Amino acid sequence: MLNKELAKQRSQLMQKVRDFFNARNFTEVETPIMVTIPGMEPYLTPFETKFTLPSHLKTEQNSTINLYLNTSPELQLKKLLGAGFGNIFDIIKVFRNGEVGGDLHNPEFSMIEWYREKADYKDIMQDCESLVLELVKSQSQDNSAKILNYQNTKIDLTTPWPRKTTNELFQEYCGIDLLQNKEFEELKKSAESKNYDTNGCENWDDIYFKIFLNHIEPNLPKDRPIFVYDYPVSQAALAKKSTTNPFFAERFELYIGGTELANSFSELIDSKEQRERLMEEQNLRRQLNKTVFDIDEEFLASLESIQFPCAGIALGLDRLFMLLLDKKSIEEVILFPLAKYIN
Amino acid sequence: MGSTQDIKQGIAINFKNGAWLVAQAQFVNPGKGAAFTRAKLRNLRTGQVIEITFKSGEAVETVDVVRNKCQYLYTDGTDYNFMDNVTYEQFALDKETVGDGIKYLIDDTECYAMYIDSVPVSIQLPPKMDFKVISSPPGTKGDTATGGAKDVVIETGATVRAPLFIEEGDIIKINTEDGSYVSKANG
Repeated sequence: MLNKELAKQRSQLMQKVRDFFNARNFTEVETPIMVTIPGMEPYLTPFETKFTLPSHLKTEQNSTINLYLNTSPELQLKKLLGAGFGNIFDIIKVFRNGEVGGDLHNPEFSMIEWYREKADYKDIMQDCESLVLELVKSQSQDNSAKILNYQNTKIDLTTPWPRKTTNELFQEYCGIDLLQNKEFEELKKSAESKNYDTNGCENWDDIYFKIFLNHIEPNLPKDRPIFVYDYPVSQAALAKKSTTNPFFAERFELYIGGTELANSFSELIDSKEQRERLMEEQNLRRQLNKTVFDIDEEFLASLESIQFPCAGIALGLDRLFMLLLDKKSIEEVILFPLAKYIN
Repeated sequence: MGSTQDIKQGIAINFKNGAWLVAQAQFVNPGKGAAFTRAKLRNLRTGQVIEITFKSGEAVETVDVVRNKCQYLYTDGTDYNFMDNVTYEQFALDKETVGDGIKYLIDDTECYAMYIDSVPVSIQLPPKMDFKVISSPPGTKGDTATGGAKDVVIETGATVRAPLFIEEGDIIKINTEDGSYVSKANG
């Protein structure tokens, strides 16, 4: 949307985000947009392109190499953690093929990722609270502002923000205890006994998501942010398993005003376990008939030199700015949203 | 009764013993999980709107709906009368069936009539329509408490939330799905 005032507000917010992390002694880094090995997440589709080799590097077999637009800089950032960079942040464009339409998607979007050493996901939750409060204050004359007005809802940002585990939400909203329903057949039976639709569900995670998206997510409180945390391990390939229950991993998502804004982990730094999980994801990609990428050996090797527990997060900046500027769609805070050119 | 296909905007489907129009379909990726499609469904008989999330690629049973251009004629207070611009037949729908659409009907408004088995079951307005503002309170500069918006009245008598610079006599574009202001259409 070509609105100069909005573009200016967006630029000021972006500067405040940088100020926030610089003031906390994070180092800003720049990671590449084109990579030779993208993230392995089975349900993300990277844009694929080809690099034409110059004549002196061409061989009879290879005149090009495959490159991918990064879906997230997390592998690169963890390599930097392994190289001893300490606390870092990266503001970058990321790309996801096939994701367009609705109010919350554009195939390229602005993301911030930040990583903390000697920290876990609960420390990152506090960063989120402080960052959003600081941005809200910067927009208000009132230096103690704790209310975000979004689409006629007053969102109370008083800390600490509510935190609920996925299993607490399943029990509270649906009367289903995930720990009693660890198998596909069990969860299917429980869902159907409550008349939840399980149509088209082929595995445990499909049912989990169908219930979560139809019966939990739409009913999450809109007048308070909420951290949804401790996800089933199958949905957190790069996260550390929970110390209290290994069925779950230390992952959280942040929702503000019903919009999913960020995804965070206590990072898995055990390279052996990481290799196994990446291999499982390779298998899943194969089953889904998607391009199967190589395992990034440089990434696995760098995990071995990470000396302290680490936690990191990816937060969608367009969505954050949409909320802060009280806009209904991210397209209103992006100058050239793709949907405009393909509809 | 139709065959099965993926959920997408504009088709009508059978769901929970009713016929529903897919008013909006949007992509949802819950992260580390399969893709889903969140659909806003409008019941073709009652006008009820619900939101349901389907797994992307999940087959749904489609309903054959005939959609003809039609024209709004008049209301007697309870029924709203239309003329089908293809067959020139007149038909009436009650207030509840027309639903929120009554806020945007003025004489000769062009819309679509939806038929299931030759029975008119609902009308569908163009997603965006232009209206003249007939009353607008003067905007107060710097009034940030209201988010820089005010209530204006359009020619149908409906109230719409619009930016402060909108004045009486302006033509504004309204999203008929949710009643929100889209843009100023003149000048």
